Amino acid sequence: MELDREQSHLTDEQFTDLLLGISAAPVRAHLKECAQCAQEAERVSGAIAGFAQESRLWAERRAASLPALEAGRKPGFAWIYRPQAWTAAVLTVALGVGIGVSVRQASVRPDHALVTHQQVAQVQPARVTSPATLKADNELLSAIDGELRADESTPASVYGLTAAAHGARNKSAKRMSN
Amino acid sequence: MIGCVSDEPTLTELDDIEALDRMYRSRLLRFVAYSTGDQDLAETIVQDCLLKAYRGRESFRGDCSVYTWLAHIATNLVRDHQRSRKFQFWRNVQKTAPDLSEMASLLPGRESSPESQMLARESAQLVSAALETLSVKQRTVFLMRFIEEMELQDICQATGMRVGTVKTHLHRAVKAVRLKLGGRA
Repeated sequence: MELDREQSHLTDEQFTDLLLGISAAPVRAHLKECAQCAQEAERVSGAIAGFAQESRLWAERRAASLPALEAGRKPGFAWIYRPQAWTAAVLTVALGVGIGVSVRQASVRPDHALVTHQQVAQVQPARVTSPATLKADNELLSAIDGELRADESTPASVYGLTAAAHGARNKSAKRMSN
Repeated sequence: MIGCVSDEPTLTELDDIEALDRMYRSRLLRFVAYSTGDQDLAETIVQDCLLKAYRGRESFRGDCSVYTWLAHIATNLVRDHQRSRKFQFWRNVQKTAPDLSEMASLLPGRESSPESQMLARESAQLVSAALETLSVKQRTVFLMRFIEEMELQDICQATGMRVGTVKTHLHRAVKAVRLKLGGRA
């Protein structure tokens, strides 16, 4: 790597190569002539070396404070690297959102039901039972009661000799056929 | 996978997880801690890395150093973590970056005077600060070359990058460090 004659200092690439220990002879020659480049190279390499040493001491102390590794231990973040785990997580979130929406709708539903009942009440008027129908129904119930009473064991009723029972039976039979 | 030749008795190391742990944990911890900027996370990744290497030791062909192989696994784990971090809405990560001031207090008095010790500490802190401004790839190759002192070829094998790409990242990383140290870069 030739140094440009008009170039007063090392380029970035030359400086990096110098730190990497792969610099060309002209670069090394330049360092002997240029105090500024030499000082900067020393400063940068010294700072990196200091950082390397300090970080090594830190790591050694930190590693020594940790429990020993066991072969049977499960990796801490192993599940992160599995696509199935992410699929399960997405499905769980989707299920949670679905349940949330469902619960929200359920909490709103009574109002809807109230409105529906009101609307139905407005559209469909209440059914009115006429007095004639009520009277007929009462007569039917009385006839049925009469028949039930007639079934109670008396010699006359057994042979159908009671006029009231006979009339009531005919009446109820007629109404039932309707 | 990896094509360099090594004379190390690699199979013995990999067969003994305690030896593997003892020999490489601190070195990996330093690399991963400064790659991620999170020492708690780094501990987990390093443990996963060692376990993965131990369980997959049969796939190691012994054609490079164990550390290069471990660095390759660790780099992949860090990259996977960077990728998955986008989805970590569920986890409030409390980052605990390595504290250089704590590191500096560990150092023995290797400098001749308190002043020079303080200057060295400040310079180391500036390097650490410069690392935080780098991209993941720049930081990775910088740490591998200048902190782990790996050869360029080993870095290529550990990261899967070509030599030219590694050197480009190194140039940019060195430039950032020089700027942080007040250089002309």
